[in-house]
Amino acid sequence: MEVQQSLTVCVTGAAGQIAYSFIPLLLSGQVFGQVKINLRLLDIPKMETALKGVVMEIEDCAYPLIGDIQTGSNPKELFKNCDLIVFLGGFPRLPGMERKDLLQKNANIFKEQGEALQEVGKEDVKCVVVANPANTNCLILSRYATKIPRQNFTCLTRLDQNRAYAQVALTLNKPLNSLKNIIIWGNHSTTQYPSIEHATVEGQSFVLPDQGQFIERIQKRGAEVLNARGNSSVFSAANAVKDHIKDWYNGREDTLLSLGVLSNGEYGVQSGLCFSYPIRCLGAFKYEIVGNLQLSDFSKQKLKVTEEELIQEQGLAESI
Amino acid sequence: MQKFLQKVITNNLTRASMAHFGQSLKPPVRVAITGAAGQIGYSLIFRVASGEMLGPNQPVILHLIDLPFAMTALNGVAMEIQDCAFPLVQGIVATDNQTVGFKDVNYALLVGAKPRGPGMERGDLLKDNGKIFTETGKYINDHASRDIKVVVVGNPCNTNCLILANQIKDIPKENFTAMTRLDHNRAQHQLADKLGVHSSDIRKIAIFGNHSPTMVPYIDQMTAKNHKATVDQQWVTQTFIPTVQQRGAEIIKARKLSSAASAGNAAMNHITTWVNGTPEGDYTSMAIPSDGSYGVPKGLIFSFPVTVKNGKYSIVQGLPISPFYQGLLDKTIKELVDERNAVDHLLK
Repeated sequence: MEVQQSLTVCVTGAAGQIAYSFIPLLLSGQVFGQVKINLRLLDIPKMETALKGVVMEIEDCAYPLIGDIQTGSNPKELFKNCDLIVFLGGFPRLPGMERKDLLQKNANIFKEQGEALQEVGKEDVKCVVVANPANTNCLILSRYATKIPRQNFTCLTRLDQNRAYAQVALTLNKPLNSLKNIIIWGNHSTTQYPSIEHATVEGQSFVLPDQGQFIERIQKRGAEVLNARGNSSVFSAANAVKDHIKDWYNGREDTLLSLGVLSNGEYGVQSGLCFSYPIRCLGAFKYEIVGNLQLSDFSKQKLKVTEEELIQEQGLAESI
Repeated sequence: MQKFLQKVITNNLTRASMAHFGQSLKPPVRVAITGAAGQIGYSLIFRVASGEMLGPNQPVILHLIDLPFAMTALNGVAMEIQDCAFPLVQGIVATDNQTVGFKDVNYALLVGAKPRGPGMERGDLLKDNGKIFTETGKYINDHASRDIKVVVVGNPCNTNCLILANQIKDIPKENFTAMTRLDHNRAQHQLADKLGVHSSDIRKIAIFGNHSPTMVPYIDQMTAKNHKATVDQQWVTQTFIPTVQQRGAEIIKARKLSSAASAGNAAMNHITTWVNGTPEGDYTSMAIPSDGSYGVPKGLIFSFPVTVKNGKYSIVQGLPISPFYQGLLDKTIKELVDERNAVDHLLK
């Protein structure tokens, strides 16, 4: 079958673990359908040889949907003509590192990348920020790429959402597709608020036997997997990136979804913060924030906590 | 008596929610992957779980099998599968017990094998893996579904498959194959690159023989965009064949890790093609029990060009074998015969 359309997708941190799992998903046709994908693979100069190995393996998979591939370490080169950029690359947390240092090191990276976007990026390029601290990195990126519409900047909370769906399905002993509207609010961190307030199972609202335990489990699931695997959640993160892009691109009628987006003040959250909200995906990369859900006092309190953390992060990041 | 751990997590899919799903879902199948806690397993399991291998209407129950020391890591993998919220995964069995692992399994991808340690001779590698695959063969014979389709990936995959199949009494021998699809995919890309076309434009190539440095990439009938295509013989002998043979080592050098993603991809492709069939006018490569075609001794597990239809493969007969190719075939046949002799004691 002749594949007509093509998209140009850049992946940063392309020699890393999440990219290794994500690239086959991107090229599988599961995200954009029968559309050729031109790849731009960005990583730091140190990773150049490893990146060559990644390209060799992509070639050895003989993907029908692969277009051309470019690699490099300069975002001003690789961000040109991109329709979508997946920001997997960031500064990792090293032993003994303070949160403040992590925030500032990453802020530097995302400032540089935001400036590159401003200079060479397509006006309508879509961005998914995954590298942590995802929300604040997304905020910084958007600050330096002002020509790009605010709604094009998103960060990943879909992993938390998928985890929440899985835990609810297990707890209620119901199939996954009977569940709707489980929402992750706020920061992709331990202050996130996984909410079942507006969720349904087989069309009915429900309560969990121990809501506190559920919330805590989702907040700390990353650590749980790390302890078991001896490595962080790589594939489930890559899969969540795939889900995030797929639904953002194709739209979803049957349920609201969690995406980190730039706030316009919905639910009293400080405008400009990158905050995970209930989102209606309309297709063709369009979405709307569902801003009129009734929130219990419990929920409002949870939102305040995660917003506070984001405000603090913003302060630390902007002191660069 | 070995202790064993197993964890069974099941989501029930009721009729009501099948209707709600809005698709006609088939009854679930059981897919077993050995070496499931390893690197190839990591690349393979999630793509199978997402529906890429058997299609979006085919629910799967995953049987993840590995050694006792890997059970904690395997439970971590099971957690991550849950965290993907795959709609098609109806259950996960994570175990080091092969009775449980292979019970009623419809598809098995045998990735796990003993790796070559420093200073290890090929003979030792054959013998050690021989023991593993003898055991696994018994478990599959006694517990798997009678229609199971098996692909051996763990090396030396041809001879491991031979040993495994030797234990099978109650399932057709043709259901036991080994993987040369990775070599096929690698060859496809190299040729596409040389001819300046997309890899999906290259057809009618095949891998003959052993999944080893003696494997034979046959390109005599190759087409590019449906036109006969040739490449110069010097490039074939001096660049093409060595590149495909050494590709694995080249990737290890660059990545400092082996080619897990492309190997997992090829294993998946092997099963998908076996189930869905080959495209019209093309063939694929599978290492299968030889029926004597092309002068290959009967019973050797040997990669041939095959077409696949209705879940059954057939060797493409009558392809012209030049003296050049005959020389290469002789080498790979000899190697496989030698490997068989080295494990002769396991084949009684």
